[in-house]
Amino acid sequence: MTSFILLLPTHRPCAMAIPLFSGKVAAGFPSPADDYVEKNLDLNELLVQKPAATFFVRAQGESMLGAGIHPNDILVVDRSIEAVPGKIVICALNGELTVKRLGRDNEQWQLKAENPDYPDIVIHEELDMVIWGVVTNVIHAL
Amino acid sequence: MQTLIALVDCNNFYVSCERVFRPDLIGKPVAVLSNNDGCVVARSKEVKELGIKMGVPLFQIQQLVNQHQIKLFSSNYTLYADMSSRVMLTLEAFAPKMEVYSIDEAFLDLTGVCHQDTLAYGHLIRKTVIRATGIPVCVGIGPTKTLAKLANFAAKKWCKTGGVLDLSDPVRREKLMRIVSVGEVWGIGSRTTLKFKQLGIHSVWDLATQSSQRIKSQFNIVVAKTVMELNGTACFQLEEISANKQQIVCSRSFSRRLTEYTELFEALAEFCSRAAEKLRTQHSVTSCISIFIRTSPFNIQEPQYQRSATIKLDVATQDTRTLIAAANRLLKEIFKVGYGYQKCGVQFSQISSESESTQCELFDFFDNDLPTENRPLMAVVDQINRRFPKAISIAATGFEQSWKSKSERMSPRYTTDWRELVRVK
Repeated sequence: MTSFILLLPTHRPCAMAIPLFSGKVAAGFPSPADDYVEKNLDLNELLVQKPAATFFVRAQGESMLGAGIHPNDILVVDRSIEAVPGKIVICALNGELTVKRLGRDNEQWQLKAENPDYPDIVIHEELDMVIWGVVTNVIHAL
Repeated sequence: MQTLIALVDCNNFYVSCERVFRPDLIGKPVAVLSNNDGCVVARSKEVKELGIKMGVPLFQIQQLVNQHQIKLFSSNYTLYADMSSRVMLTLEAFAPKMEVYSIDEAFLDLTGVCHQDTLAYGHLIRKTVIRATGIPVCVGIGPTKTLAKLANFAAKKWCKTGGVLDLSDPVRREKLMRIVSVGEVWGIGSRTTLKFKQLGIHSVWDLATQSSQRIKSQFNIVVAKTVMELNGTACFQLEEISANKQQIVCSRSFSRRLTEYTELFEALAEFCSRAAEKLRTQHSVTSCISIFIRTSPFNIQEPQYQRSATIKLDVATQDTRTLIAAANRLLKEIFKVGYGYQKCGVQFSQISSESESTQCELFDFFDNDLPTENRPLMAVVDQINRRFPKAISIAATGFEQSWKSKSERMSPRYTTDWRELVRVK
């Protein structure tokens, strides 16, 4: 990070504040565009519904390539959304955070990768699995 | 209508913040250390069960840390502040009126909000907060702030409550008050507790059954109000608008002993900058600045020295440069060579609103050695620093800052820095 240092005079010039009687003078022609100013587009508005529950995380690995999640992408995660089958979720699997698609086949919960090289994970009793949040968007730099 | 207050308090807040991003640490002993990694300031349940008390110096528990593989963290205040604001934002939806009481607790006014099942409402609050933020909380409910506090204490202590307890019912209230020590009552300090014990007041119930008149004469009005609150009469109102701080303090211990004047001055200048930033954020000015310096009270072998000094400024200011210059003048007064200084700090008091403090009167006396107030300049500095943290600093704060505190076990700033996001596989 570049730093700047503010250099200060050791002695300020002898100054004394004297109140100035002033009034604003309107000058110039008002811009005709003033009436059309609305606002700037804000990406937060598009990507973040619940600010308190929204977290950004960074993807690693290629297990979700099929879902358009590449290594180093930023995922927008909303913790307040209910994790239902079909959603891409972040979960803590045996203490490690992982991103997978939540699935349910024949009464069996699964964490599915979207890459044939990665096996699906069947959720069973001994597995320590907690849903952390639901992925709503991927931010991918080209 | 009967008032109904809830106190929502985060469980082991700093530890919980760390665990949100480190689920592998759930169920494991975790402790958070103070600035400079000196003392324990937050403990997980597992650490409490090992008998480690709040505030103990790290070196005293090093053996337990090794033996039980306690995971230690330096305080990551950036993370805790962000997580706190998420919790508060989530809580706001549950009540029309709310008082943020501290970084990890808030009072909610539930009067008229949940007529039927307060307990269910409490559980809903609890569930919503942990789901949205990952932070577990307990909810205490009662007709007064003091009772809500007491209910929260009990909800935390007895897991059977499921983390939510309502003390609206006087019968249940009495049962609880009989088994809780008077020292747990909100606002009752250790000294008052001692005095109570001499008078035979041991349990909360003992206190609640005192005449508030008698307590008022023997103690003070605040303790008398507490007695009334324990009996269900609301005396303490919710303070919604967080009052601007009447005092701003910035102090720290050093990673090593400082012996040179310039080193101490650099540190003080840095603290002045931080405190002045806070002052400007709340649109205030100060007209009184104090500094203190001291050697380590823990090491009795070293020569001990401790001094503080205060200066009253002629004109209230929020200008970092004026404040640093004032601190420098104070340090000249109290600094002595030959000591190893371990801690120093600055404090601003007599704080008022910047709009109240008018420009100087026409023939005001000026202190010629102090730079004049320049609000536009400071506003620009703050603006730049908000976009590029710490980009601009006053030269007096030094370049090396070798006195900076150790925080070797700091977790990433998961929620406030793009480069430190948590990684998922």
